[in-house]
Amino acid sequence: MTKRAIDAVFESMFILTDLRVLLRETAPLHELDPGQKGSAQSLLAELQGKVDLLKEELLS
Amino acid sequence: MKCAGPIDVRDVDESCINIDPIQVGGRLTPEAMKAVIAYGDGYSVCDNCRKPFRLDYIKAPPVDAFHRDLAAFLHMDVARVVPGARRGFQAVADTYVQKGDPVLITALSHYTEVLAVEGCGGTLREVPKSREDLITPDAAAETIERVSKEFGRPPSLFFLDHVDYQFGNVHPVKEIIRVAHQHDIPVLLNGAYTVGIMEVDGKDLGADFVVGSGHKSMAAPAPSGVLATTTERAGDLFRTTQARTDLTGRTFGVKEVEMMGCTLMGVTLIGMMASFPRVLERVKHWDSEVEKSRRVVDSIRSIEGTRILSEEPRNHTLTRVDTIHSFDKVAQTHKKRGFFLSSALRARGIAGTIPGATKVWKFNTYGMTEKQADYVARAFREIAAENGLRVGNQLKTSDL
Repeated sequence: MTKRAIDAVFESMFILTDLRVLLRETAPLHELDPGQKGSAQSLLAELQGKVDLLKEELLS
Repeated sequence: MKCAGPIDVRDVDESCINIDPIQVGGRLTPEAMKAVIAYGDGYSVCDNCRKPFRLDYIKAPPVDAFHRDLAAFLHMDVARVVPGARRGFQAVADTYVQKGDPVLITALSHYTEVLAVEGCGGTLREVPKSREDLITPDAAAETIERVSKEFGRPPSLFFLDHVDYQFGNVHPVKEIIRVAHQHDIPVLLNGAYTVGIMEVDGKDLGADFVVGSGHKSMAAPAPSGVLATTTERAGDLFRTTQARTDLTGRTFGVKEVEMMGCTLMGVTLIGMMASFPRVLERVKHWDSEVEKSRRVVDSIRSIEGTRILSEEPRNHTLTRVDTIHSFDKVAQTHKKRGFFLSSALRARGIAGTIPGATKVWKFNTYGMTEKQADYVARAFREIAAENGLRVGNQLKTSDL
């Protein structure tokens, strides 16, 4: 396990936490306004990057 | 969905708007949620604990600086973190109350203050509340005189709730503390419903001790809290151990007796610390929280037969209502009986009321977004109308 992988695990959980907060802020209907959709999109893209990095670090 | 074994995932705040009277101010900030992920293991803040071993000396993470920041935040001289406000009450009572001493609480005091006094053998005397469910300086003065006469000495301590848990009323604590000090009675200000959501200036209020709850109002995991005091009182309250064991002759140096050595050694403390910058900021926006509270209260008041039992206009987000002549009337004939209200709220994604409660109940609007406040306000009116209750023009707080 490299430091990069360890960091990526925590960073992924932190990104998921930001998504969790978004769910809290928009409960109960979860109708995201354009700004919130933009945030969700960048968070998901960032998360995807971390998952890719983890695949590279752990599986290659 | 399960977290582990039989333990369900708790997603009430992700799926609903939570109006639970005691939960909302303790919900974690995003920063605390992240810190909790990293510091979930037992003694996680103790990695860098070095001689002399004590929690408030730890520099990484900056626990030492956090203690100083907490004291400054409350405008007090010294602060310690404690496992819940109740442990702060207990530490102060253990230090200042001898067996048989009279101790003042109020008619609106939290039960843990009673237990703290009972634990050290004090004798409780209550300051009565007014018709408006407020504790007044006059009532405090009369009680002090009466109790002093009864015991031949003034009470050794006075527990005073800044905002009470029953009505969410804001009491004139500065004036009451002034009265207590005229009789040389030290005052513990219970800020469980203020510290962390409103600005609290302990020095300006004149408090000898300020206690806050991490899990109630400081966006921290339970059990957590803060106990702050003045330089004058800190020596007694945070006295260090003098004990020497008889066989091995061991001593324990800087450990503080009332703190039982160290207090919050992991996830509770790190959660408090991580939330703290946001807590510092959020107390400045208390007015907007009160405005949202009033908006929801205005809506509930507009339902025929409903009474707001808390002081009005509302100055806090915790409110007690009487719906005996509105929602409880519906419950008499509804097929779900008293459960219809919590069920109707839940169907709209609103959680935190006691299932079955339709007579007298409490809710708390703290931390809602503007949209969520409007949504909750509308939901109560809709539920009332759907169940045949008349919903009047929304009488606004400003019209009162």
